[in-house]
Amino acid sequence: MDAHTIETIAGVIDKKMTRQLKQYLDVCARCAICKDACHQYVGTGDFKYLPARRAELIRHVYKKYFDSAGRFVPALYEARDPDDNLLDELYESCYACTGCRRCMYYCPFSIDTQWIVAVGKAILIAAGRGQEMLGQLADAAIFKGENVEMFRDVLVSGFKDIEAEVREITGDPEATIPVDKHGADILYVALAGAHSIRPAAVIFHEAKVDWTISLFEAANYGYFFGDAEKAKLIAKRFMEEAKRLGVKEVVVPECGHAYRVADIFYEAWTQEELPFKVSHILEVVDRFIKEGRITVEKGRIQGRVTYHDPCQIARNGGIFEQPRDVVKALTDDFVDLVPNRAEQWCCGGGGGIVAIEEMRDVRLKSGSKKVEQLRASGASVLACPCENCRLQIEDLNQLHGLGLQVRQVIDLVVEAMPLPGNTAPRA
Amino acid sequence: METYLAITAIWGVYLTAVVFFVGMGVRVYQWATTPRSPVPLGMFPKPETKGARVAKMLKDTFLAPHSARIEPAMWIFAMAFHVAALGAFVGHGRLLAEFPVLPELLGEEGMNAFAAWSGSIAGSLMLVGVIYWIARRTFGPYKNLSVPEDYLLLALLLGVVVMGDHMRFIYGGTIHADTYREWFLSLLRLRPQIPEKILASNVGWSLGTHMLFTDLFLMYFPFSKLVHAIGAFSTNLTRSE
Repeated sequence: MDAHTIETIAGVIDKKMTRQLKQYLDVCARCAICKDACHQYVGTGDFKYLPARRAELIRHVYKKYFDSAGRFVPALYEARDPDDNLLDELYESCYACTGCRRCMYYCPFSIDTQWIVAVGKAILIAAGRGQEMLGQLADAAIFKGENVEMFRDVLVSGFKDIEAEVREITGDPEATIPVDKHGADILYVALAGAHSIRPAAVIFHEAKVDWTISLFEAANYGYFFGDAEKAKLIAKRFMEEAKRLGVKEVVVPECGHAYRVADIFYEAWTQEELPFKVSHILEVVDRFIKEGRITVEKGRIQGRVTYHDPCQIARNGGIFEQPRDVVKALTDDFVDLVPNRAEQWCCGGGGGIVAIEEMRDVRLKSGSKKVEQLRASGASVLACPCENCRLQIEDLNQLHGLGLQVRQVIDLVVEAMPLPGNTAPRA
Repeated sequence: METYLAITAIWGVYLTAVVFFVGMGVRVYQWATTPRSPVPLGMFPKPETKGARVAKMLKDTFLAPHSARIEPAMWIFAMAFHVAALGAFVGHGRLLAEFPVLPELLGEEGMNAFAAWSGSIAGSLMLVGVIYWIARRTFGPYKNLSVPEDYLLLALLLGVVVMGDHMRFIYGGTIHADTYREWFLSLLRLRPQIPEKILASNVGWSLGTHMLFTDLFLMYFPFSKLVHAIGAFSTNLTRSE
């Protein structure tokens, strides 16, 4: 590897250096307690997926360039220059990492491996080794943000089609999907695809909410790609839209990372205070049910129901109870997975890995714990927010013949609502 | 023996004190002067108040309840080692001054017997802990994770503990705390000398070797992963920010 690239890589670590990163790199005792926490290491037994090992690769370079003891006696720490082998392993371990932070939960020093992995991704990007698919998806989202007028007509006509379905389900010919509505209470930022818009629109309509839909998606491939600048630009699209429309609340869909980006990261990235609050759709639906603004009936959902905590919503987002309360309002036959909440196993589909075809094998193997959990629950319906979790668990469902219905929570909510057009579940 | 002790138990101790405290100071200075991440890195469930955050940090640092849940065996060995090390550290307080109350309660004989028992237990537990860690690193499925630093520290620690135990088990009946205290206080008064009683006995070789390993261990401490001894408070507080 040429001197220039090595310099660039050291420069990335320098730029990313924070007190927390420095401490994480300095204090890890390599005790490997994290080995049983990581679904990928447990599912594959492959050394490169051991959380401490993922961090160790960065530590080798850190010791060489940022630590006097490492410079003085590099052999003690295996301190070294980055080379192609290091970058190859870094690519596989960082882009496979789902960022679930289950290792951090169990670590005696609470080392945030995801935070170190983020540096790994930044190194890969600087060395021209960023994951291509994630990078392209991020760039496409940014392009859309800069040229929204080009997309407006297609989007609006798409919303009109969904609006027709909403009218059919609610039986109300006046039901709408409002676009660009100034002064609305809620801006709903959906995902690309009718499935995340239709049920939300039905719920907003029934709850008689003054809402409007965003022209942008909440998904953030810049975040998965590992480029904070791109991630910021992607989230900025709807944050600026919300400011322009003067809404009181931005509601993100069930998608996990979108919530963490919008509610926890965005203000820190931009150092600005947002003039509205950011909520997860299930917080809002829980509120509607508890306030009696929408009616749901038990008995419409057949079979035992369980719930999967997406890592970015639960352990990393703090939403544990609201989705459970929602699901429990729909059925009397609810059972929790074991373990659950903060200790929930990652399904293996987070962090953008579902979009990386070459990592399909490790992704499916890393779902072994989730499969065990689901089998043990005896449930036939899985309420599962987060698109990535659903894609992964649906794959596991097929592969292992679990016979589960893997459902969005808001789909289950709509199904449990006594509505005229509510006959069969829709794809 | 006199030269050996002058190196390891007198001048080595002074050098170690300087390297250890300056090294730790530099490490803390480096941490303190590196800007914090603007992004909060906490995870949930997260206490609401500052007091509860600090309480959780102390609990996580001293008890590591999450680690206990996922790997009870490792937790038991690690906890036994750390508690024993703390016990040994407190026991070494007798180098400064005799404990209050206890000697009056137990009498001189009783105090020596108590010290022998507690020191033996602590020393044995530490030895078991170090051997467990060496085995875990050497034969575990993740031995590839280990770097030379890990083995160096364990080797030094093994030396410290074995020689400490040697003094406790072999010479514990003949040389008591007051003799060592004479030596240690002379160091603090900057008029260092080795008591005749130590020079007259073979315990001098044990003390010299115990101090050799201790000097090396503590001099290396600030440049190793052992800075988790202070860093863990900070990283565990980050957990609930």
